[in-house]
Amino acid sequence: MLRPVTRMSSPSNTFQLLASLPTGDPDDPTPVSFDRRGLRARGALRRHVTELRDAVAERGAGRWLLCAEDSYAAATGLLALASAGSVAVLPPNRQPETLRQLAQGCAGVVWDGAGREDAAAAGITHLGIELLAPPRAPAQTAERPLDRDRPFVEFRTSGTTGEGRAVPKALRHLEDEVRALESRLGRGLAGDTRIFATASHQHIYGLLFRVIWPLAAGRPFQSETLLHARELLPRMAECESAALVTTPVHLKRIAATDGLRGLRGVCRAVFSSGGPLDAETAKAVAEQLGTAPVEIFGSTETGGVATRQRDTDGEAWVPLPGVEIRPGDGDRIEVTSPYVSVGELLADGRGRIVMGDRVEIAADGSFLLRGRADRVVKVGEKRLALPEMEAALDSHPHVAESALLVREQAGIGRVHAVVAPTAAGREAVTRGGRRGFGAELTRHLSDRFDPVLLPRAWRIVDALPRDAQDKVTAADLDALFRDGDSADASDPQQGLRVLREQRMDDGIEQTLEVGPGLPQLEGHFEGFPVVPGVVQLGWAIAAAAAWLGERPQLSGLEALKFPRPLRPGRTVSLRVERSPRGSSYRFVLQDEEEIFASGRLLVEEAQP
Amino acid sequence: METLEQEIKELIIEALALEDVAPVDIEAEAALFVEGLGLDSIDALELAMALEERYGVQIGDDPELNQQIFASVRNLAGFVNENRAP
Repeated sequence: MLRPVTRMSSPSNTFQLLASLPTGDPDDPTPVSFDRRGLRARGALRRHVTELRDAVAERGAGRWLLCAEDSYAAATGLLALASAGSVAVLPPNRQPETLRQLAQGCAGVVWDGAGREDAAAAGITHLGIELLAPPRAPAQTAERPLDRDRPFVEFRTSGTTGEGRAVPKALRHLEDEVRALESRLGRGLAGDTRIFATASHQHIYGLLFRVIWPLAAGRPFQSETLLHARELLPRMAECESAALVTTPVHLKRIAATDGLRGLRGVCRAVFSSGGPLDAETAKAVAEQLGTAPVEIFGSTETGGVATRQRDTDGEAWVPLPGVEIRPGDGDRIEVTSPYVSVGELLADGRGRIVMGDRVEIAADGSFLLRGRADRVVKVGEKRLALPEMEAALDSHPHVAESALLVREQAGIGRVHAVVAPTAAGREAVTRGGRRGFGAELTRHLSDRFDPVLLPRAWRIVDALPRDAQDKVTAADLDALFRDGDSADASDPQQGLRVLREQRMDDGIEQTLEVGPGLPQLEGHFEGFPVVPGVVQLGWAIAAAAAWLGERPQLSGLEALKFPRPLRPGRTVSLRVERSPRGSSYRFVLQDEEEIFASGRLLVEEAQP
Repeated sequence: METLEQEIKELIIEALALEDVAPVDIEAEAALFVEGLGLDSIDALELAMALEERYGVQIGDDPELNQQIFASVRNLAGFVNENRAP
């Protein structure tokens, strides 16, 4: 167990408490941020803050929604709202429904641009941050520093739009963490290193690393967001010293361009957080840049917990200064630190909370991650509690039960869904195939979940696979996707279940259940699925192989007939008989009323 | 232009590893993002990279321009046709 660090050093002379930022020289020319238009000065920030503070105070303090795309605007909004005695609520996404719902509990919305018309149309009080105009406020700024212990910002964590949990942070939570970051990571960053970012300041990682920390340390931050390596990297290359705040999804893309090589000597650090960074990308970055990415582990509730660089720390995470960790229930990590803002509040002001991640703690206090205990996943930067989406699926009339897992698709972890349909659902599958069935459920989910979280692939089953303890395991679910990812026409047995099999001297009889999710039904035909003849033929050959113990060598077919179309969702019997001299196999596929296929498989004559 | 549209449909399906979607299922004028095919922001990055690799076209960070380019396969084909590397 590590001792918390109660006194923290400020390694840089210019390190300034955020609380006192609004006070001070309104003509201070020190750069705080930059974009393609140029630099903005600390003095201008102070004046913008005062101007906005007055406008907010006029309309009433309380909670205000803050929607800013520009990070300088976000900084202005946060400081102004705090100065006015308000709390800034940061929406998790900009979905209209999310904003509408959150705005209801707020005095109004502070915007920096896009979307104002929506706010007006919805009758929501709103204030604009006019960033292009120079600040109008006279040369007089705030008189008092901000109160470190009052609620400063409120995050909403969610996998759903508009709902989820409110996570408030006081200024001290953010300031104290930023000092710990500076102490652990600031050494390599010169005083005026420019901070670039792809991560959004609407989430805690982006807010801390691209706004709060740079503001406190006096490093100019990029206020616009460039996501494409081609635009981002050349701008970084123009600087003497730069750092990048990014996430695994974007870093993977950037590393793939090999562009970091050209930033050696300029880019001092690449930060990654928001989800697990794959080893391959970490290695590529280290090889190109000469230094491994600094990975950060934390959460909205806990703030930062630990960091690692794989070239020095291997897989082990090193807790940040001030962070105390212990194994909690079921090996989940219990975090105690001054940066935890929810959970148990201790007498010394620190917070304590158990996270959903399982860990293995080493003697030296470092730890390894051992997976989640609670099925909360990240896709891109977005967080999703899988049980929440499963419940949403189960509420649909087509779904009897469902199970979700995250699997890689095109190199990115995506949500995959396994569904056992109700009777109405089976009908829908028969009508629309797996694609139509999936599309309908996706529509149902899209009202409440961020687009990147929607399932990208579906498997339809009669019942969820269960193991000996009657549990649905991720491994069993994964197996459904592994054996031939999409319609694998070369495997005619997919979607088919052999209910009964009887071997005789001269042949074999199988009772087959033809499932509604049979992949070969896709597009065959739209609205009227029919099992293709060639697939039925494949079943006959497979049955012959089952009897023979090996695939028979066939030279041709004879008397092939498909008298009636075979619709899915029924049980049929398949009988395969070898002729007395073994020169052919006769097969019939039928049920009590109809024959669907019949014919003879001709065996190749053995060469003497 | 028709072959280019077909090529792009195939590229979309392959680069994004889309399941249950064949080129014939993608209408040339249907929306690609949010509506229609339902692609998202992660797909946008992957697709931009795939297009650059295949055709040498450069897609940047201008949101208005991108909205135009990615509005449909037809728009995308038009953009590629005009900007592809020789």
